[in-house]
Amino acid sequence: MAESKLDLLQGTLDLMVLQTLAAMGTLHGYGIARRIEQVSQDMVLLNQGTIYASLVRLQHRGWISAAWGTSANNRKAKFYSITKKGRKRLAEDAAYWERLAGVMGRVLSMEGEGE
Amino acid sequence: MIDRMQEFFQRLLSMFRHDELDRELDAEMAEHLALAIDENQERGLSPEEARREALIQLGGRTQARERHREARGLQVIDTFLQDLRYGLRGLVKNPGFTAAAVLTLALGIAVNASMFSMVSGFLLRRPPGREPERVLAITSINPAGGLFLADVALVSPPNYLVWRSTTDVFESMAAADENRTANLTWHGQTQAVPAAAVSADYFAVLGVTPELGRAFYKEEEQAGRDHVIILSHDLWDRDFGSDPSVVGRTVRINREDCAVIGIMPANFRMMGFTPQLWTPLVFSATDITPAARKYRSLNVFARLKPAATLEQARTELKMMGRRAEEDFPDAEKGWGVAARTLPDFLVYSFGIRNPLIVIMTVVGFVLLIACANVAGLLLARAGTRRKELAIRMSLGASRRRIIRQLLTEGLMIALLGGGGGLLLAYWGIKFLAAGMQFNEAVSAVPLTLDTNVLLFSLAVSLLSAILCSLAPAVSASRANVNSNLQSASRGATSGRSHSRFRRVLVTGEIAAALFLLTGCGLLLRAVYMIEHQMMGFRVERLLTAGLTLDTAHYKRPEQQAVFTQELIRAVQKIPGAESVAATSDLPASGFNRTTFQIKGERESRASQRPSVLDFLVTADFFRTAEVPLLHGRSFAESDNDSAPRVVVVNQEFAHRYFKDQDPLGKQIQLEVSGLTPVWSEIVGVVGNVKTYSEDTRYDPAVYEAYVQRPLPYFSLMIRTSADPNSLIPELRKAVAQTDVELPLARVMSMSTVIDLQKGGDVLFAQMLAAFAVLALTLAAIGIYGLISYSVGQRTHEIAIRMALGAQARAVRRMVLREGFKMAAIGTTIGLALALPLPRVFTAMFNDLPAGDPRAYVIVLVVTVAVAVLATYIPARRASRIDPISALHSE
Repeated sequence: MAESKLDLLQGTLDLMVLQTLAAMGTLHGYGIARRIEQVSQDMVLLNQGTIYASLVRLQHRGWISAAWGTSANNRKAKFYSITKKGRKRLAEDAAYWERLAGVMGRVLSMEGEGE
Repeated sequence: MIDRMQEFFQRLLSMFRHDELDRELDAEMAEHLALAIDENQERGLSPEEARREALIQLGGRTQARERHREARGLQVIDTFLQDLRYGLRGLVKNPGFTAAAVLTLALGIAVNASMFSMVSGFLLRRPPGREPERVLAITSINPAGGLFLADVALVSPPNYLVWRSTTDVFESMAAADENRTANLTWHGQTQAVPAAAVSADYFAVLGVTPELGRAFYKEEEQAGRDHVIILSHDLWDRDFGSDPSVVGRTVRINREDCAVIGIMPANFRMMGFTPQLWTPLVFSATDITPAARKYRSLNVFARLKPAATLEQARTELKMMGRRAEEDFPDAEKGWGVAARTLPDFLVYSFGIRNPLIVIMTVVGFVLLIACANVAGLLLARAGTRRKELAIRMSLGASRRRIIRQLLTEGLMIALLGGGGGLLLAYWGIKFLAAGMQFNEAVSAVPLTLDTNVLLFSLAVSLLSAILCSLAPAVSASRANVNSNLQSASRGATSGRSHSRFRRVLVTGEIAAALFLLTGCGLLLRAVYMIEHQMMGFRVERLLTAGLTLDTAHYKRPEQQAVFTQELIRAVQKIPGAESVAATSDLPASGFNRTTFQIKGERESRASQRPSVLDFLVTADFFRTAEVPLLHGRSFAESDNDSAPRVVVVNQEFAHRYFKDQDPLGKQIQLEVSGLTPVWSEIVGVVGNVKTYSEDTRYDPAVYEAYVQRPLPYFSLMIRTSADPNSLIPELRKAVAQTDVELPLARVMSMSTVIDLQKGGDVLFAQMLAAFAVLALTLAAIGIYGLISYSVGQRTHEIAIRMALGAQARAVRRMVLREGFKMAAIGTTIGLALALPLPRVFTAMFNDLPAGDPRAYVIVLVVTVAVAVLATYIPARRASRIDPISALHSE
C-alpha cells in the first residue's frame, strides 16, 4: 500500500466537504474535490467521482444547498454552499473529531510500562 | 432523527426523478472533467495528456454514477423493482406454470376470504353506541345449565332493582325485556312486531340517541304514563314510509293509543336482538315480590364509571349474587351473576364463535394444501432453473439476493392469487350472504367484502408467499454453483435437499388432507344424525302460528280461555283442517321449565327440586301433533276449570321419576311462579318429543290442560291433509272473524319452523363437505404433480436402470414404494392429529352426537386410495420409459 495515500473513513468525506464549503463559500464539485486534495497535500485518496455521492447525501439531509450557475469559463455548473443547519452540524462533528483525535493521539503515544 | 426522516423522504422523491438526476450528474461530471482538463493544460500538459490525467483523476464514470444512485435512492426498493421486472418476465414466459400456481392460490385465498367475511361480520363488528367496551352485560348463571349457554341466563326484576340501587361501580344501569311481541295497528292494519320493553335510560347506557325525536323519560316508566313508543329505522322505513312527521303521531299498540316519540338510527342494531319497536319497561307490584325472583326475563346493561374496571364490577356483582343466595335460598340457591363487556357478550351469546373457529381452521388447512401445491410447482421450476441460478451466482449474485429474487417471484404469484381470490370471494360472499338468511338475527348481519376482509386477504397472500416460496428458494440457493453448472445440462437426479423437501411436502399434504377429512367427516355425520333423528311427532302437514293476547281485551284468564276455545272452534271449520290445538310452545322448538314435587315422596328443599319441561296444551294437542298416547288417557272436554287438575307426562318422565312403574293416578305439584301450587293427577303417559329439534335430548316433560291454566300467548297447530301453506288465508280469515285487531305471528308450516331452527347446521354441513372435497382434490393434484415431477427428474436414472436390465414391474414398484412410504407416514401423522377431534368437538358444541368411529375408517381408505392413485399414474408412466430415446434425448 502506497504510504502517501489515505483511505477515507466512513463519514469523514462528508465532514471535509462541509468544512471546505464553510471556509470557501460557494464552490462547484470539481472545486471542492481539488481543494480537499490541496489541503490534504494530496494525501487523501479521492476518487473524484465519489464526491458526488457525498454531495447528494448532504443535500438530502439539508446540510448543503445547490444551484445551477455559470462557471468562470462560462460553462453551466452546479454550485454548492453550506446551509445554516450544515454549519451547526459541522461544529458538532468537528468538535467530535477533535476530541477523538486527541484521545487517539494520547492512546497511541502511550509508553510501555515495566514489561 | 428529523434529518434522517428528511433524508429518507428525499431519497424516496429521488426515485421518481431517476432519469433527470442521472442527466444532471452527467452534466456535472462533464463540467468536472472539462475543468480538470483545463487545469492540466495550464500546468503545461498536451491536450491528450491533460485529458488522460483528468479521466484517471475522475475515476470510473459508471461507478461514480452507481455510487451516486446508491447515495440518493432507496437500495431496497430499487432491487425489489428489479426483481419484480425480472420475475414478471419469468411468469409471462411460463403461462402454464403461472396459471396453475395462481389459480391454486386463488382458490385457497378465495375460500379463506369468503369465510372471513363471517368473522368480520359476526365477530369483529363493533356494537353501536359510544365506547361499547365500557358497557357491561350482566347475566345470571343457571346452576342447572341451559339448553344453550348457562352463564348468559336472563335476570329477574328484583335482582335488577337491587343491583341498580346498591352497586357502586356503574354510572347507570338499564334493563330490557327483549322478547315481547307488540300488536301494532296503523291505518287499520294490525301486525305482530317483535318488540322490547326497556327502562328509560336503556339508550343512554348503550350510548345511542334517536335519529329523530327523543328517548324515554324517567316518568314514562310508570304505569299509565307509558303510552309512548320508539320505532326502529327499519320499521319506520317499511311501514311508515320514512315520514318524519310520524314522530308525535298516535298509533295503536295492543289496542291502546301510543304516541311515537322517536326513531332510532339504522345502525342501532345489536347482534342477536331484533326488536322493531321499543316501549317503556314498567314494573308491576308483583314484579318486585320475592316470588318474582324466579321470573328471569331481563337483559341488564350497565355503563362503568370512568375509573371502574370490569374486575371491580365482577367482584361487586359476585357479592350481590351471594347475598341474594343467602337471603332468598328458595329462588336463588346456586344461581350466580356474570358480567361481560357488550362486544364480548354479543359474540358469546350469539354462539357463532365455535362454528367459525371450525370453519376457519378447515379453510386454513385448504390454504395450507394449496400452498404445498404451489411450493411443489416452485420446486419443480427451481429444478429446471438451476442452470440459470448458477450462472447468476457465478456472476456475483449473493445467496441472499437469489433468495430475495425467488421470494419476490413467490410474492407476485401470491398477490396475483390474492387478487384472483378476492374476485372469487366477491361471488363467494354473495353466495354466503344469500345462504345466511335462516333467521332474523342472522340475516340482520350484513356480509360484505369489507376492509377487514381485504386486509385479511392481503395478510393471507403474504403468508402464502412465504409458505410456498421460502423453502424452495432456500434450497435452490444452497445449490453448488459448479456442480449445477455442470450437471444441469445432463439431467442428473435432483439434489438431496430437493427430494427430501418434496417428500416432506407430499407427506404433509396427505397428513393435512386426512386430518381435515376426518374432522369434516365427524361433523357431517353428527349433523346428519341430528337431522335424521326421531322428533317424536309428525312434522309434515302441520301449520303453525303464534298469537299474543293483549291485556286490554283479555286481562282475566277466563277471557283468554274462552277466546282460545272460540278460536279453535272457528279454525276447525276451515276446509282441510283435520284437527286443531293450541300449545304454550311448539314441540321441539322451545320450552318452559318448572320445578315440581311428587306427593308422598320425602319433602326436598325448594332449590333441590327437579325441573321438567312444562307445556300447556288444549285437548286435541296429542292427536294434532301425532304424539302417541302410551298409557291412560289424553285430556278431555271434562277437564275444565272446575274439574280436578290433571296432567299428562312423557315416557322420559315416567322413566326417570317413577322408574318405569305405572305413574297413572300419582299426584304431582308444579311450582309455577306467581301461582299457588296445586296437586294434579297424572292421567296419561305419552311418547317422548325431542326437547329441541337441533338437540339430541329427550327431557322429562309435563303437559297441563290449557283450560285449567290459560296463558295470554300460545301457538296454534293445525293438522291437515293438504299443503299446510294453502290454509293460511283461511286461517287469517278465521282469526279476524274472532278478533279483527289480533294479528297472527310466525305463520308457517312446522317443517319450516324446524328448518329455521337448523338453518345454520345445513349450511355449515354443506360448507364443510365442499371444503373437504376441495381439500382432497387439491391434495390429489399436489401429490400427483410432485410424484410426476420426481419421475420426470429421474427419467435419466430410470432409463439407465432399464438399460441395465431392470424390469418395468420393478421400476413401477420402486416409484410406488416411495408413494406408499409417504402415504403411510402421512396418514399416521394425520390420524394422530385427528384422534382427539371428537373430544374437541364435544367441548365446542353442545350435545353433539358422539363421533362415529366409522368416519376414521372411511376417511383413511379414501385418503390412501387417492394417494395411491396419484402415485400409480406416474409410476406406470415411469415403467414405460423407453431407455434408448430417453438417454438419446439428453
